[in-house]
Amino acid sequence: MKKLLVSILSIMLVCVMAFGFTACGDNPGGGDTPGGTPPAVDAEGNTIVKIMFHVDKSSTEGQAYQKRLNAFNAAYKDRNIKAQGVFKARSAGASGYETELLNNQLEGTLADIITFDAPNTAAYAKSGLLYDISGLIPASEQEKFYSLNKYNGGLYGLPIQESSAGFFYNKKIFRNAGIDVSAFTAENPWNFAQFKDVCSRLKSFGKIPVDMRIDATKDETAPYLLYPFIYAAGGEFTSTDGYTATGYYNSSATVKGFQFIKDLISAGYTSYAIGPTDFFTEKVGMYLSSGWTIPDLDNKYRDNFASRDDWGLLPYPKDVVAASATGSWSYAITNNHHTDKTAIVELLNWMTSAESSKAITDATGMIPARKDVVTNYAVGSPEYTLLKQLEVSGRERPVTVAYPTFSLTFNQVIAGLGTNEVSSLLNSATNTLQAEMDRLKKLN
Amino acid sequence: MLKTSLIILVLFIIAFGGFVVYDLATAKKRKVVYRFKSSLTAYLMLLPAVILAFVFIMLPILYSLGYAFTDYYLLRPNNINIVYFQNFKDFFEELSTKGTLYNAIKNTITFVVGVVPLQIGLALLLALFVNRAGIGSKIFKVCFFAPVVISLSVTAFLWEQILAPGPNGLLNSILGIFNVPPRDWLRDPKTAMPCIIVLSAWQGCGYQMLIFLSGLSNIRKDLYEAAALDGANWWRKFWLVTWVGLRSTFVYILITVFIGACRILTQPMLMTGYMDHTVTLSYYMYNKGYTERWVGYSSAVALLMTIFIGGITFIQRRIFREKK
Repeated sequence: MKKLLVSILSIMLVCVMAFGFTACGDNPGGGDTPGGTPPAVDAEGNTIVKIMFHVDKSSTEGQAYQKRLNAFNAAYKDRNIKAQGVFKARSAGASGYETELLNNQLEGTLADIITFDAPNTAAYAKSGLLYDISGLIPASEQEKFYSLNKYNGGLYGLPIQESSAGFFYNKKIFRNAGIDVSAFTAENPWNFAQFKDVCSRLKSFGKIPVDMRIDATKDETAPYLLYPFIYAAGGEFTSTDGYTATGYYNSSATVKGFQFIKDLISAGYTSYAIGPTDFFTEKVGMYLSSGWTIPDLDNKYRDNFASRDDWGLLPYPKDVVAASATGSWSYAITNNHHTDKTAIVELLNWMTSAESSKAITDATGMIPARKDVVTNYAVGSPEYTLLKQLEVSGRERPVTVAYPTFSLTFNQVIAGLGTNEVSSLLNSATNTLQAEMDRLKKLN
Repeated sequence: MLKTSLIILVLFIIAFGGFVVYDLATAKKRKVVYRFKSSLTAYLMLLPAVILAFVFIMLPILYSLGYAFTDYYLLRPNNINIVYFQNFKDFFEELSTKGTLYNAIKNTITFVVGVVPLQIGLALLLALFVNRAGIGSKIFKVCFFAPVVISLSVTAFLWEQILAPGPNGLLNSILGIFNVPPRDWLRDPKTAMPCIIVLSAWQGCGYQMLIFLSGLSNIRKDLYEAAALDGANWWRKFWLVTWVGLRSTFVYILITVFIGACRILTQPMLMTGYMDHTVTLSYYMYNKGYTERWVGYSSAVALLMTIFIGGITFIQRRIFREKK
């Protein structure tokens, strides 16, 4: 009897699970039928548009978003549209926020508009999470952005803000070492040879020349900061459709880009052993970082950097071409949006307007996503250099559905440069990435 | 998913109810002394715990088992198809390329082979030491047990600082006094895994020390006195009295440390990141499931890993089985 009961239960469980796994399409969050649900309406008759952010509401950035939502609600009161912010702080990095997104999608409660990290564009678009907004945003409006979240001919997002990186340098050390870098600007960047020459002179002066963040290989830091070197050397990571790595990731030009970084390590110009505060305590001459270091230098390290006369920002060096880091978080309309598309687009346009762009970047210290935002940066200032560099040479990370694998392999290559040959590292990375791309290609 | 989970739960409760009815109905036939009301009350009191155990232990296991045979991709939770044994085929195909998966298995074996004897050996030594120490034994117990209560994230961070590359790293600066050149301990494939093994053994041995201590306290003192009268030296006392007395404790510790070692994830994740020379099978599985989003494939790896660990544990139990 006991055996019979156990057998019946097991068979029933297997049947239910088999049904359950394959019948999830009944879920109201089904991503293949966009705009299927009617909009929620509050007691005052307002159509609710939900927007989900990746930050905590109490953070500076979160407060800036909330202020813009409040302004939207005041402006659209007569049209009975009300924006409702959902704030989900990235408790476990970007992947923690992604888990939240996917849970909401599974439950059918995903917001009409979400924020997402730009490198995820291809994967999110292919999986049906995002809605193609190319027909909703006029071309004249699209042109106002420095970059767009495009995939496979569609437009899947508009950036909240832009980011760019460069080489922060200690002007006092440079002056004492007799190094003049005033000629190197975003419009006229230095080249690989000049970069090495400056490093050599800093080393002769007794300083560690540059912190390239080659130690930061546990997350997205190293890929974000170092990928422009490969583009600058003429290299590529993937084909334009994002499904081929062989012949790109291990091409001779790509090898040359990574070899440049390896040469810097071999010559002792940079190393894995540089401490996180060594630049700020004047042990290191240059520090590769993004715009978020500007407030730190202005406020946190006043003992060593009393004013902007003590530090400056240099652009990425160029080789065959100039290339610099871009990409930040973006807004997208989800495929779970409700039927009142007009209300949703109104909110999207509001949040990506020049006014919102300025308000958000004033709070975050990042670069505005739109070209028509008046910035008033002083010529030659670090902010000006980042903005000009973005205009002149900004290029996004590879657009591929296999981006997480690309990021992992990039980190493995950087971590291995100290002890391995570039070609063997890249061949291994290419095989791994290509296998993942082939697998994703098979996914319907 | 919620609907499926609820259906499974209802089925389970029905089956559990059926079992209870059957048990109560046949109790008389089995000549078991029972009172109907008392038995029913006992089962009803058991029910919340059984449901909780089912929801939080059995259900995830069942789901993972089911997902192993699907193409579940994290970004497409509404489009899951049964692919039968494709994930297992992919597993062995990837293994044959001698890539990351091959390294993950190799590193896991290296870790298990290194950490199990080291951790158990250290725990036994510490237990013997603390057991003999008179005054101050409590202080030693606290000292040796302290790493166990510290979060693994914190200990990993501390050891990262100790093993920091360059001449300013703590270990490198100590070795520098003896003119040993600085090393990048965690990036060097030769030293990274041994460092993780040492850290893990140091962190975990305090807990096993306590279990050994409780085992030692159960060994009768007169056995040692008898051995001393027979002229046994320290080693013979240890081998013939202590070791025999600790046998069942040792088997328990061996199995639990082995299972824990097979599941190593936190230390390489926090200390080195996803590197070929330190990636382990659990880390590979986590990465495939969460970072690369292949939940189906990751579940298949989990199932294979469970079978492997279960198999080895079964063999261990057979080898160390007490003779009746």
